[in-house]
Amino acid sequence: MNRREALQRAGLVLGYAVSAPVLAGVLKGCKAAPELTFKPDFFNPDQAAIVSEVAEIIIPKTDTPGAKDVGVPGFIDKLVKECYSKEDQDRFLAGLKEFDEGADDFMDLDHDKQVAYVKKVHDEALAAMKSGASKERPFILKMKELTLVGFFTSEPGATQVLQYEAVPGAYRGCVPLSEVGKTWAT
Amino acid sequence: MNLNTELQKNNSFDAIVVGTGISGGWAAKELTEKGMKTLVLERGRMVKHLEYPTAAMDPWQFPNGDRPTQEDLKQQGVQNRTGYTVKQSSKHWFVNDLENPYNEVKRFDWMRGYHVGGRSITWGRQSYRLGDLDFEANLKDGVAIDWPVRYKEIAPWYDYVEKYIGVSGQNEGLYQLPDGKFLAPMELNCVERELKKSMMDKFGRMLTIGRTAHLTEKLEHSPQRGTCKFRDRCIRGCPYGGYFSSLSSTLWAAEKTGNITLRPNSIVYELIYDDTKGKATGVRIQDAETGEQTEFYAKVIFLCASTFGSTHIMLNSTSSRFPNGFGNDSGELGHNIMDHHLSVGANAEAPGFDDMYYSGRRANGVYVPRFQNIGKDKREYLRGFGYQGGASRQGWMSMVAEMAIGADLKQAIQTPGMWTIGLGGFGEFLPYHENKVYLDKEKKDKYGLPTLTFDVELKDNERKMRKDMSREAAEMLSAAGFTNVKEYDKEIGPGLGIHEMGTARMGRDPKTSVLNKFNQVHACKNVFVTDGSFMVSSACVNPSLTYMAFTARAVNYAMDEMKKGNL
Ligand SMILES: Cc1cc2nc3c(=O)[nH]c(=O)nc-3n(C[C@H](O)[C@H](O)[C@H](O)COP(=O)(O)OP(=O)(O)OC[C@H]3O[C@@H](n4cnc5c(N)ncnc54)[C@H](O)[C@@H]3O)c2cc1C
Ligand code: SF4
Repeated sequence: MNRREALQRAGLVLGYAVSAPVLAGVLKGCKAAPELTFKPDFFNPDQAAIVSEVAEIIIPKTDTPGAKDVGVPGFIDKLVKECYSKEDQDRFLAGLKEFDEGADDFMDLDHDKQVAYVKKVHDEALAAMKSGASKERPFILKMKELTLVGFFTSEPGATQVLQYEAVPGAYRGCVPLSEVGKTWAT
Repeated sequence: MNLNTELQKNNSFDAIVVGTGISGGWAAKELTEKGMKTLVLERGRMVKHLEYPTAAMDPWQFPNGDRPTQEDLKQQGVQNRTGYTVKQSSKHWFVNDLENPYNEVKRFDWMRGYHVGGRSITWGRQSYRLGDLDFEANLKDGVAIDWPVRYKEIAPWYDYVEKYIGVSGQNEGLYQLPDGKFLAPMELNCVERELKKSMMDKFGRMLTIGRTAHLTEKLEHSPQRGTCKFRDRCIRGCPYGGYFSSLSSTLWAAEKTGNITLRPNSIVYELIYDDTKGKATGVRIQDAETGEQTEFYAKVIFLCASTFGSTHIMLNSTSSRFPNGFGNDSGELGHNIMDHHLSVGANAEAPGFDDMYYSGRRANGVYVPRFQNIGKDKREYLRGFGYQGGASRQGWMSMVAEMAIGADLKQAIQTPGMWTIGLGGFGEFLPYHENKVYLDKEKKDKYGLPTLTFDVELKDNERKMRKDMSREAAEMLSAAGFTNVKEYDKEIGPGLGIHEMGTARMGRDPKTSVLNKFNQVHACKNVFVTDGSFMVSSACVNPSLTYMAFTARAVNYAMDEMKKGNL
């Protein structure tokens, strides 16, 4: 038997879905929206833009590729569409809306403010999870999880940021970390 | 020649084996190597060794990070109850639940795959012997019936199959877990070594590396198989033949004899019983693709269709001689279902090993042999449990719960996370007559065959044991100096151990058992059942090695009987 645990799936149906129209960016100053790196299938363009920026903030391009470079936004779009139940999708979109409203239009913030906002929401969410105040994983942590999955199952994530060996050939059970180097991707 | 005799001739063999999984592969190898022209019938599709579509794929080649889609969950919702089998990399080895329904009076998890190789492709490969502690248990406890076999009779057959399939492990000289013929053991990692030492020092209990059907050395008799390359992708099928499966091993051997005819897509639905001869003359099959029904004939028949597969065939084979199912004079057919109860144990963090790591992916864990109700140790329940588990350092997934994001996260993630260690119990499940499976003739599957209905539950003895399973694990982890020790008990349904067994038990008395000690149907001498159905008690160790040993022994016996003219 495998020791890995089943992914916990949400139990209760949340009644009816959130209404679709995502605030028609009224009354907001216009800032050129960054171009999407993928064609969303599940998200609308506004949602896709937020998902992309948040993913890139969680794993930015540094001397190695970032979330956008390896296609994480498209990965999230597909995964939420194909792997999430209707209830989980609705909850994800509701969380995204709330996240956006909390920033008073996330895409209107400049980059530094976006980063600061993501960090603030993220830290609060983690604290709430750890204190047990929040039971359901909040939107920002779902985003983080999806970003990590998308990134570290990608070739650059697995082989450039971490290390990966398709065919290790042997198992050595107890070796100094300095000999191994860094974390294995799998 | 008239048509009937023509058919009779073309469809006649020395032996028929039903199923190509762990038991069927062994029956096929042994029979063909003894010169028997053998027809091997398999209900699922053809698969040949090396035809493992996902075996060489890298993580980025799977959509959705290898997770199941909602559509997958619709098609394979029951198979997904394990939480780890319905993935893009392995889902094709498990049945479509919509096409293969069964009924549950109480929740029962029936995990299976229909294809050549059966579950020998996906099994976890953990391989342990039963000992006299197990073979004598029913008699001593006054539970169910006595095993008609003792360890010394089966030990040579364990030797025989271990040497052939290749089992890596360490002999420890324990009464409760007999030694075997092992290939070089795999290594424990640093934290596991620490736990091993602490358990011995503080409790006098053993922790050993898992005994697993992987090649850590080449096998001379199986040149087609290579050694394990430590990829931990076994569930997809191994292109190196690094672990034992019917495809990499026994069916290859059967093929080499030239005596095997393998027919996939052949659903055996009935044994043909000849009242005048007092024998089974063959089987009836339905072609899974064309729906055509055909008969095949042989002198001897081995049912190896897995515990419930064979039970289904036997329950469905009624005649004036056997109105309640084939060989079912005792009324025990379909009863006494056992499994191992699991998903209970404890986890902990292991501080102090931050500068140590490992390399390679060991598809094996540690094993803690049973220590309860042995010698002076007495518990408030019968029998006992072992633990399987292991230690590892957390990977990138653990970063979800860490504060870092951005460039910090990318940096932090390159240092492996905290060491964690877990021990999960595998508990013995007593045989209860009322834990049963039967046919629902009203509810048919898409082939028009009756479906199975399960009525199985854990009882008091298992529940009491579970409390001990998490408590003892936590105690040993704490004693080793590990921190944040957490007990768990995920009250799972039976079946999820995927060690289902017991529905046609063996015994000395035909009034209380279906098979004799050679897996031969008491009431029909030329039919043998050698999958998990024969088990009289479950012990607490993974059972497949035992099915192999009993299968090889049953073939040997059948051949002797045939020579003597008794079949
Ligand atoms: C994920 C997983 C992990 C496991 N880990 C371990 C482990 O570590 N150690 C261990 O000992 N065991 C383990 N097992 C259990 C092990 O796989 C089974 O005990 C073993 O495969 C049983 O062998 P079998 O030949 O009886 O049945 P199977 O291997 O299931 O083979 C039965 C075959 O018969 C065919 N069949 C069924 N009905 C019919 C019919 N009517 N007509 C024709 N053909 C039919 C099936 O299609 C199948 O191919 C594990 C199982 C799974 C799924
Ligand atoms: S771990 Fe070994 S046996 Fe398993 S797939 Fe890899 S090489 Fe094959």
